[in-house]
Amino acid sequence: MTPRWVMRWTFLLALAASAVSAYLTIAHFTTPNLLACSASGTINCARVTTSAQSRFVGIPVAVLGLTWSIAMVGLCSPVAWKARATWIQPTRLTLVCIGMLFVLWLVYAELFIIRAICLWCSVVHVLTFALFVLVVPSGWAGEGEHLKGR
Amino acid sequence: MSKRAAKPSSGKRQRPDPGRSSRKAREAAAQQRHRRNRSLAIAAITGVVLVVAVMVAVALTRHPQASRSSGGVGPAGNLAEHVPVSVLDSVGAGRGITPPQALPSGTPTLEQNGKPEILYIGAEYCPYCAAERWPLVVALSRFGSFSTLRETESAAAEVYPRTQTFTFHGATYTSNALAFVAVETNTNQPAATGGYTALDQPTSAQQSLLLRYDRAPYTTQTGAIPFLMISNRYLSIGASYDPAILQGMTRNQIARALSDNTSVIARGIDGAANTLTAAICQVTGEKPASVCSDPTITKIVPALPKP
Repeated sequence: MTPRWVMRWTFLLALAASAVSAYLTIAHFTTPNLLACSASGTINCARVTTSAQSRFVGIPVAVLGLTWSIAMVGLCSPVAWKARATWIQPTRLTLVCIGMLFVLWLVYAELFIIRAICLWCSVVHVLTFALFVLVVPSGWAGEGEHLKGR
Repeated sequence: MSKRAAKPSSGKRQRPDPGRSSRKAREAAAQQRHRRNRSLAIAAITGVVLVVAVMVAVALTRHPQASRSSGGVGPAGNLAEHVPVSVLDSVGAGRGITPPQALPSGTPTLEQNGKPEILYIGAEYCPYCAAERWPLVVALSRFGSFSTLRETESAAAEVYPRTQTFTFHGATYTSNALAFVAVETNTNQPAATGGYTALDQPTSAQQSLLLRYDRAPYTTQTGAIPFLMISNRYLSIGASYDPAILQGMTRNQIARALSDNTSVIARGIDGAANTLTAAICQVTGEKPASVCSDPTITKIVPALPKP
């Protein structure tokens, strides 16, 4: 069994990612000024959230992030961790890997294309990485054997 | 196996338990699988950390090079590209801004790779071009980004001498919403034969557009620059605001003033940038929505000239 602390933390991290993504999505559809963030210099949320890279195949990245994090809330809920359904673990693992790869692309876009950093986006990136760190070992090791005894 | 188990009991010979040995083999295989999977997980996490670390290191080491005037985007360019949306919103349409003219409805489409094209034709010596590049950089930076934007000034011998600005010669601009094509026909260096040394040569198609639209009734001065076509919808010839407001100011002073909504410079440049943004939104199909649905921009749109 996966330790309870992993179940609890992945759930909390996914909830936090959903909350921040919801905030970014609301700002995307209303005004970037809504974001409590610097709007000049290198730290510039508005610059990032209104950039050409704020959309992926026409879909706002904020919406993609919200959808992803809501899915992760479901897949990382204690119920899902304890469920016997065989599809949950590979789905959770695939989704967290996709999320991490997307974060790497967004970090690249911020550093090299937009040349500005969005603090709130970075919060989601860090949460995604934390989820990746917790989910990947339990996903690949199966049944969280490596986490036993922690 | 324990000593007690190894010891024969009650005189019977102990036979190997096939169930136990296969269970042991399964356990060993499972352990090996776990070890391999754990290594994979550690490798994946380490890989992510390394990729991020390399990206951050490259970005940090590239920064000083990008600040040089010989390439990249300097500090003034960086400020012009990063004018806070809140400042742009509070400036609105600005003051004393000349909006672009509407082109007749039959004007041929101007596009590149399926994207609407913004065509700028100017020259480095030209003070009106020097002034117009500021709002153009501010506006275009909302739709995409410049990766090369060198700094320059208008010629000392012209009206509004040494107006601090950027040059679009050698500039690189990327956007998902539009294509930006810039032609700087001359430098700010006097040529031995008179005029200024040549730089970019307009294509025959661009020359045709100049011949057709850079004259009456669009302008009183045939061949005037800067010449700015916003796809086939709008045309701006000359500076959108009074270049005199930039006189005597350094490039960094102008750039910093862009983020001060009470400054005359912000009202001129940011106001002109908002007007250009509203016009550009009309050719990009209101994309990106995050820019084109900005209430400040939507408020300017009805005030734009109609064909």
